[in-house]
Amino acid sequence: MSFLAQTMRQMLRHVPNRSLLTAGAMRPLSISPVIGQQNKPATESVDLSAIAKDQQKECLSICERINRQVQKSEQGRLFAVVHLCGKQFKVTPGDIILVEGYWPPTIGDEISLDKVLLAGARDFTLVGRPILEPGLILVKATVVEKTLSHTKTHFRKKRRKQYMRINFQRSPHTMVRINSIELARPVDGNGEGESSSRRLF
Amino acid sequence: MVFLNLPLLVRSRGPDEFWRKRRIFKLAAHYRSRTRNVYSFAIRSVHRALAYATKGRKLKKLDMAQLWSTRVEAGCQQYGVGLETFKEGLARSDILLNKKVLSDLAIWEPRSFEALVKISRERAAVEGMPDIKRRSAFNQVYGLSNLKLD
Repeated sequence: MSFLAQTMRQMLRHVPNRSLLTAGAMRPLSISPVIGQQNKPATESVDLSAIAKDQQKECLSICERINRQVQKSEQGRLFAVVHLCGKQFKVTPGDIILVEGYWPPTIGDEISLDKVLLAGARDFTLVGRPILEPGLILVKATVVEKTLSHTKTHFRKKRRKQYMRINFQRSPHTMVRINSIELARPVDGNGEGESSSRRLF
Repeated sequence: MVFLNLPLLVRSRGPDEFWRKRRIFKLAAHYRSRTRNVYSFAIRSVHRALAYATKGRKLKKLDMAQLWSTRVEAGCQQYGVGLETFKEGLARSDILLNKKVLSDLAIWEPRSFEALVKISRERAAVEGMPDIKRRSAFNQVYGLSNLKLD
């Protein structure tokens, strides 16, 4: 029974949320004027010194465990949630995502998807606020196809009024294949929360 | 008496009737019985189908948004958190995942989704949202536990 409780506790502990370890974790929403959201200010601001010592040690041990797992390549296959052209995609290596509308990259271009909102492996998950640090997760992709969508019919008719209009439209589509998702840097508990909030989302 | 007005020529349809009807029959080829063979029935069905297709493109987006909401709500209700509390907690924690991605995580990455629910619940408890009154006993979100409730 105690072994089961210990296993349960260890299982629960295996989902750390690294970005909550940063200083100013209760920072108000950085882009609230953009999305017009009402954000209630935090009751008090917390910095690293206010976190208890044992929790700080536990955070550091979790980061060390993640780094050890990544060093030994035991983390399994990574998935990431990327923000691309106003949409969010949950991607894993080998996926093909579809970008609708006009998009300048051409066939064969290799691009790096920088706005990673969340990344996870078998035993850990990194949650960005709102995005992870630049350069922490490298998502490489290749444009594989540029085509048009199927024909969409825009048909309007008003009965008994002799009004009928019909338009056809095909929008440009770009297919992007995800080549690799890698954890480029070791995870530490002191992420630079200020630099990511300065970036435009 | 010779008719010289050009608009009167509109009454004469000419040889294009076959091709005009053929375009409608091609769209009605998969219908059944007389809607496939008889032009007066076929064009009514084709017009109704095209109108439904135009309206359906907007309705599909609403249906998908409703489906994602249902899935996210079911996912966070099994941890005792309502959907509005979950969304508000994530927004106040600066996590801007949308409902499509959250529903994907709830289905395919349940442990990541569980972590997000814990973050949201802890945030709701700390900031005194009406649904959550106290912290969960299994809370594992570091960095927030030094805050006092009330």
